[in-house]
Amino acid sequence: MRLLQWEALCAIVAFALTETFILVPGPYAMALFTFIAQPLFAIVAIGYLRKVRADLRKRGL
Amino acid sequence: MSADNGSQDRDGEVASGISRREVLLTVGGVAVAVVAGAAIWGGLEFYVNKQHAIGSGLNVTYRQVVMVLGTLACVLGVILSIRTARTRFDDVGTARKDVNFGVARVPALVFARLVALMALIVLPAGAVFLANYHTFEGVHEVRGCASCHVMLPMVNDMRDPGSETLAALHYKNKWIAKDQCYHCHSDYGLGGGLEAKMTGFRHLARYTTSTYQEPIKARVKFDNNNCLTCHEGTPKWVAVESHVESHQELAANKMPCLDCHGEAHPTAAQRTPGSSDYSRLMERMK
Repeated sequence: MRLLQWEALCAIVAFALTETFILVPGPYAMALFTFIAQPLFAIVAIGYLRKVRADLRKRGL
Repeated sequence: MSADNGSQDRDGEVASGISRREVLLTVGGVAVAVVAGAAIWGGLEFYVNKQHAIGSGLNVTYRQVVMVLGTLACVLGVILSIRTARTRFDDVGTARKDVNFGVARVPALVFARLVALMALIVLPAGAVFLANYHTFEGVHEVRGCASCHVMLPMVNDMRDPGSETLAALHYKNKWIAKDQCYHCHSDYGLGGGLEAKMTGFRHLARYTTSTYQEPIKARVKFDNNNCLTCHEGTPKWVAVESHVESHQELAANKMPCLDCHGEAHPTAAQRTPGSSDYSRLMERMK
């Protein structure tokens, strides 16, 4: 079972946008990073931590 | 992640199903990431503050440091994210294979979890940190301001030797050696207030979605402290009676410096599309 598939795919998109901004800084790249990549990273982190928490609870920790 | 391989973990199994080694590796991984982050931060501060000189002649700017480290973080993040997306944690958990690092061997499930931690938490945190550092350091440079075309009138006017605006006077008389925009608008930088940051994000959103009208108008009141930081207490400043008399009002932003000191930038009329000055002010810099 691929438990972290959508999180990983979101992270790939966010990394790509972040890399674009780092290499070619400009207002549009900055907006993509600020308003899309950063929230995506936050969603990824929340999704990951929720699954880790569920996993730990399942194990009784 | 939820592969229930509880009793199958090796080395110091506990009743919960997570081995001591697994926990130690995770804690160690996070600690290494924190130390690496602190080292990167220290390195960036060093390059920014120490003239960027390494050895005899190799000059490194913060931008190059961010580009290299950011690219490493992003490329590694993509690789590990692809691996994580393709990982079947149930299969890894039951496979009972070890991964050999050369200096240590860890169970495949532990390795897969560490890869996921790196791909989804540690590297994104590093990439976000570096990109935000890029954002807040990038706004120091004049070309950073000029990258939005609505700012071109201000930048072009500042560089115009014939202009008498405050920005142009500061520029041509070299009263500010570099990063001229930032010196008078330093609220936008890493040390600026939250309100200035939110204003910056609003400007970014309005600009990139083209939901603005020219000439642009400043909604936020200019903070006199941007002027007072350099001018307050200097012999020339103290010699003006009204400065001393109005000191409290000036410091409290109750009386704008610009009330007496004229236009800081081209007027709204000059920046209005169709005006005689507009095309000159909007010329893209080379």
